[in-house]
Amino acid sequence: MFDNLRTFIDKIKPNFVKGGKMGWLQSTFEAFETFAFTPNTVTTRGSHVRDAVDMKRAMITVVIALVPALLFGMWNIGYQTSLHAESWPFELGTAASWWYCLWFGFLRMLPLIVVSYIVGLGIEFMFAQIRHHEVNEGYLVTGLIIPMIVPVTTPLWQLALAVAFAVVIGKEVFGGSGMNFLNPALVARAFLFFSYPTHMSGDSVWIAADLWGTDAIAGATPMGQLAAGMNPSASALDMFIGTIPGSTCETSVIAILLGAIVLLVSGIGSWRVMLSVVLGGGLMGLLFNAIGANAYMQLPFYYHFLMGGFAFGAVFMATDPVTSAQTNTGKWIYGFLIGAFAVLLRVLNPAYPEGMMLSILLMNSFAPLIDHCVVARNIKMRERRALRKEVQQ
Amino acid sequence: MIRIKKGLDLPIEGAAECRVSDACGVTSFAVKPTDFVGLVPRLLVAEGDRVAVGDALFCDKNDERIRFAAPVDGEVKAVVRGEKRKLLAVVVKADAATSQKDADKSPVGRADIAEIKQRMQAEGLWPLLRQRPFGTVANPDNAPKAIVVSCFDSAPLGPDYDFVMKGREQAFCAGLETLARLTEGTLYVTFRPGQRLAQTVAQHVASGLKNVKIEFFDGPHPAGNVGTQIARLCPINKGETVWTVNVQDVAVLGHWVSTGEYKPVRVVAVAGPSARNPHYYRTMAGACVESLVEAQRLNPAYPRLSTGEGDGCGVRVVSGNVLSGMQIAPDGFVGAYDSLITLMPEGNYYDFMGWLMPGLRKHSFSRTFLSGFVPRCMERVFSLMPECLKPKFDTNLHGGVRPLVFTGGFERVFPFDIYPLQLLKACIVGDIELMEKLGIYEVEPEDFALCEYIDPSKTDIQPIIREALEKLRKEAM
Repeated sequence: MFDNLRTFIDKIKPNFVKGGKMGWLQSTFEAFETFAFTPNTVTTRGSHVRDAVDMKRAMITVVIALVPALLFGMWNIGYQTSLHAESWPFELGTAASWWYCLWFGFLRMLPLIVVSYIVGLGIEFMFAQIRHHEVNEGYLVTGLIIPMIVPVTTPLWQLALAVAFAVVIGKEVFGGSGMNFLNPALVARAFLFFSYPTHMSGDSVWIAADLWGTDAIAGATPMGQLAAGMNPSASALDMFIGTIPGSTCETSVIAILLGAIVLLVSGIGSWRVMLSVVLGGGLMGLLFNAIGANAYMQLPFYYHFLMGGFAFGAVFMATDPVTSAQTNTGKWIYGFLIGAFAVLLRVLNPAYPEGMMLSILLMNSFAPLIDHCVVARNIKMRERRALRKEVQQ
Repeated sequence: MIRIKKGLDLPIEGAAECRVSDACGVTSFAVKPTDFVGLVPRLLVAEGDRVAVGDALFCDKNDERIRFAAPVDGEVKAVVRGEKRKLLAVVVKADAATSQKDADKSPVGRADIAEIKQRMQAEGLWPLLRQRPFGTVANPDNAPKAIVVSCFDSAPLGPDYDFVMKGREQAFCAGLETLARLTEGTLYVTFRPGQRLAQTVAQHVASGLKNVKIEFFDGPHPAGNVGTQIARLCPINKGETVWTVNVQDVAVLGHWVSTGEYKPVRVVAVAGPSARNPHYYRTMAGACVESLVEAQRLNPAYPRLSTGEGDGCGVRVVSGNVLSGMQIAPDGFVGAYDSLITLMPEGNYYDFMGWLMPGLRKHSFSRTFLSGFVPRCMERVFSLMPECLKPKFDTNLHGGVRPLVFTGGFERVFPFDIYPLQLLKACIVGDIELMEKLGIYEVEPEDFALCEYIDPSKTDIQPIIREALEKLRKEAM
């Protein structure tokens, strides 16, 4: 069967090369061809053997790491709805209801994911085509992350708009994946947050209730409650497991940790960034505990890891290799400040209940500066060494 | 002992067995100007000329003292030229029987340094010395702050120099003695812990060589690369030079010093997954590999040989190791500084959904394939490894070229106090000042070979570094 497919591709390939009948679709064709078959290119210059990992494999590893959070998120959409729905087809707590929760959530997530991929990949293909580049795999990850970090009630047209904005302004204007300085998924999230605040925050957006013909159902998130000066009604354990209202797929710390393990074991995600984000957030939390001026400050520091997008941001967004600091020392500083600023924003600025998104975007824009300083130290070292040598002579 | 922690050993099959056979079938030898970085050659012979061993075939146009000598007695069979009449190789067909003459050539022994230098140049031994930065033939006017001789090869399938140097220990020591006199700095001779050759050298050094230091390096490749060792022992600042010499060339030098005879003996390992009978051959520098490869190519799995560039299927012949060697034609010639011929299967095949498959036999530095979970210690006992777990190496690129996206990987295989990604980017944009600041003078392309290997974006890093170095060298000229 593979041979037949290969023969078929080889047969139609001449149409898609430059000068062929459909030469203008070359990048698109290549994207599909390399999707089916890793190309037969051999090394010509430089090292004769190469590592088996390529961009597709690396990106698919991240997608695999996202799967636990995605599955849990789907289930949780159903579960949250079932808690509030007036009529739920199955008795709560039964296996049937459990499966139905997953199915229900799947049906709600599917349009979001499909819209994100169609719009995003469509633009990516278009740009690749215009530039005569191969299509970059970066959007496989971004396109999945975006629907995972928005409220389930996000209107599809808004999502489409945000995706288009993120891909064009967040990435392609700089030259595509690898050249952008802001995490495109967060650009999409920020676009939604600032353009349609009523659809992105408050208590009425987290539960997919509209399906049932009733008005929106209030499902306050722990962060929302805290920002309003109340104590969170969910326990730490609930938050850890993730059975709370929130953005579609970022509530479960357990599922995110599974993803973190995949990223760390495969070596795709940076442990330095993940660890330092947690350290930064933890220390800032402890600092507020020590001050303890209000209820939010008195909140045990580890609650910050469990609430909102902290865990998801630390594992999947801060570690984005393109937009994070690129030096190892830089990664420590970058991660630490993300964690610290996220908690700072949460506690001190009630206008933005969730600080993680803004904190990562802020540090994204500072990452080049951090790297610059780290590299400058290396340059200084080299200059000093040369000077020492001269003095000796 | 200096432990190198960063690096990677590639578990490639087909290491050369420790036995040596005389390469009787080799009759043509070549000196290739392209083996010498930045060399503009001036041809001194014509096709059909008779040459004796040591006679200059061509010299450096920019410094005519540097002459490149015929490795054997014989007749100039061909002067190979490429595009724009670029001189690619001068091929000498060896005489059947070696003539005995050289009555006028006396051993230099303990002549003074200026005379030794002058005679090395005149008799074609000078190109044995290479310099850093730039990797060119050493400039005779420079005073190197150190000379480094690395006595082990950590590269994939690298020859075992303990074995290669067997019987030439005395010549090696005599060569070291001369090298020590060529520098006012230190001569560093580096070994892996436990090398036999180290003991011989240590005894010799103890008997009265002042500025010679023996250093031990342990750890994965690139522990054996001179670049790694220089970075630890005597990092190069701007304006400084360090010379390097290959192990076998030290023995050639030693033999010449003590007898006056230039005899570029080269023991070459023929190895690699496509070598049926990998072992060592004794021949002269610049040997034609045709008969050696012919004898190895009976491997039924890879019956066809690739004809130089492009062809793709079959076997690729690499002079040097697979990370930083040069591809040569199956009837090409061993590179001037190489002691290894690697036969690699070409990777000209499509891999169905290669990015999705578990990949038990795909070698990767990352753990994105199942192969990453096979314990590393199993790689040391290759023969015991079940066939289904043995990593398979070939020349497939394993993906498409992309912008540099992932970070942090290079640092794990790059044992220098240099930021590899930043230096690479400086080289790509051609920012000379930044390159200098980031330490370009301390590296050669081969030091970046592992970065290039693990790079998921499949950038050809070594050519970028070479071009950047050439740009700097031309600026400095």
